[in-house]
Amino acid sequence: MNKEIAITAYKCKKCGKIHYPFHDRCLECKGREFEKMHPEGDATLLAYTVIFNLPWGFDQRFLILGVAEFENHVKAMGQIKADSVDQLKTGMKVKPSWEPIKKQYGEDVYGLKFEPME
Amino acid sequence: MRDVAIIGAGMIPFGRRDEDTLMEMLAYASLKALDDAGLGDKTVDAVYVANMGGGMLQHQSAIASSLVDRLSLLPAAAETIENGPASGASAIKNGLLAVASGYYDYVLVVGGEKMREVTGWRATDFVATMTHPQAEYPYGITLPGMAGMFTRLYMEKHGVTREQLLAVSLKNQEMGTLNPYAHVEMALDRGGIFDSPHSVVNNPVSADPLHLYDLCPVSDGAAAIVICPLEMAKKHNKTPIHIAGFGQATDTQTLQEREDPTDLKAVSLAAQKAFEMAKLKPSDIHVAELHDAFTILEIAESEHVGFFKKGEGGKAAAAGKTRLGGQIPINVSGGLKARGHPVGATGVAQMVDIVWQLRHELPKNRQVKNAQNGLTVNFGGFGNNVLAFVLKRVE
Ligand SMILES: [Zn+2]
Repeated sequence: MNKEIAITAYKCKKCGKIHYPFHDRCLECKGREFEKMHPEGDATLLAYTVIFNLPWGFDQRFLILGVAEFENHVKAMGQIKADSVDQLKTGMKVKPSWEPIKKQYGEDVYGLKFEPME
Repeated sequence: MRDVAIIGAGMIPFGRRDEDTLMEMLAYASLKALDDAGLGDKTVDAVYVANMGGGMLQHQSAIASSLVDRLSLLPAAAETIENGPASGASAIKNGLLAVASGYYDYVLVVGGEKMREVTGWRATDFVATMTHPQAEYPYGITLPGMAGMFTRLYMEKHGVTREQLLAVSLKNQEMGTLNPYAHVEMALDRGGIFDSPHSVVNNPVSADPLHLYDLCPVSDGAAAIVICPLEMAKKHNKTPIHIAGFGQATDTQTLQEREDPTDLKAVSLAAQKAFEMAKLKPSDIHVAELHDAFTILEIAESEHVGFFKKGEGGKAAAAGKTRLGGQIPINVSGGLKARGHPVGATGVAQMVDIVWQLRHELPKNRQVKNAQNGLTVNFGGFGNNVLAFVLKRVE
């Protein structure tokens, strides 16, 4: 079973600007009322990297990370399911999923993952 | 507002300083600046201490209160300023405003950080706590990771090449060998890190497309300055250096919320404000210390402050225009890349290096001939809190 992507984005009721993460006031018009929305559809990879010096809490050799934009224009960071950055390019389609991204105190922490579709 | 000048500057060698505590490093740098100013036993009115990680790395708080006690500067006002890797410049700004307002006359600003006390992955995690606690940090993103993503976008948009990044790395590392305060004192050769079979081993990918030698080291260190009103500075022993302009600006915490993630708006705005206040233009600057935590940042900042047009900074670096003797010498100290980047110390260290340049105190192989005006840029977060200062030599 695929888990639902548990990210909430916020669309300004006044000007329509989409925010993720949350801001108390709209970055565009300072509006304070937002309509909650969830990322929808597949995504487009906007930026990516692979890091080899991982922070405390990650017990693995490397980590591929990126930022992608969903079909409804929510942008978010996630881990990328690939063996190498050679499989990636800016602007490619990626399939989002909600999966364990690390372990904390023995428990899985869930977050966004993107898998290349090309 | 009163004009404010720097009358004392001091630094301790950066690197791995296992023998010193954070407090000792802050004290040594402070005494050097106080002595340089010739203040003798005279106290100062206020002390601003820049430090980012004392709470997390040394399990220590209220550092400024402890420092004034240790230095016998009581009952001077004291506070610690935490503003990420821009803490140093933020502390200077607070001191500057306090003196400019007329409230204080003599202020000591000192920045320091002890990062080598913890393992590399703890230090990496400490710096990563600047990222967004829900939208970024849980994924394992690090500051080099942010820089990696930024670099690829910058390469795609502005045509920056690995060779151009390499030019920055080689220049700064070479200058570091001449600087007795620098953490990294090893000269690099191009083959060793770029186009020989050994380079794969010597200079592995760290945060693609950035390699190990595109990143600054993790360092311990401290630096300090003493400031006072320009009018009063003239009676002290050193050539006064006027803090002629400053600017500060912020930007979104996450890169994804910037309209154009390659546009470092906070750098442009901070520099513009500093230049306006100083009534100078980028072409009036003779020497600059830019925040090169990653080689790409030296190139991007050199464009955003107005030394070069967008897309020209990389070419300028590769052509030697940013070397000593070039059009605009950048990071003659070796920069963060070679001097090191003890986060709280960096903004103050940049200023100390420019003070030495404008006083014409450096040895010939590091001195920008007859430098009159200097610029510093201290870059916090991933460009979400940036300060710039324009300094002028006062004859
Ligand atoms: Zn709005």
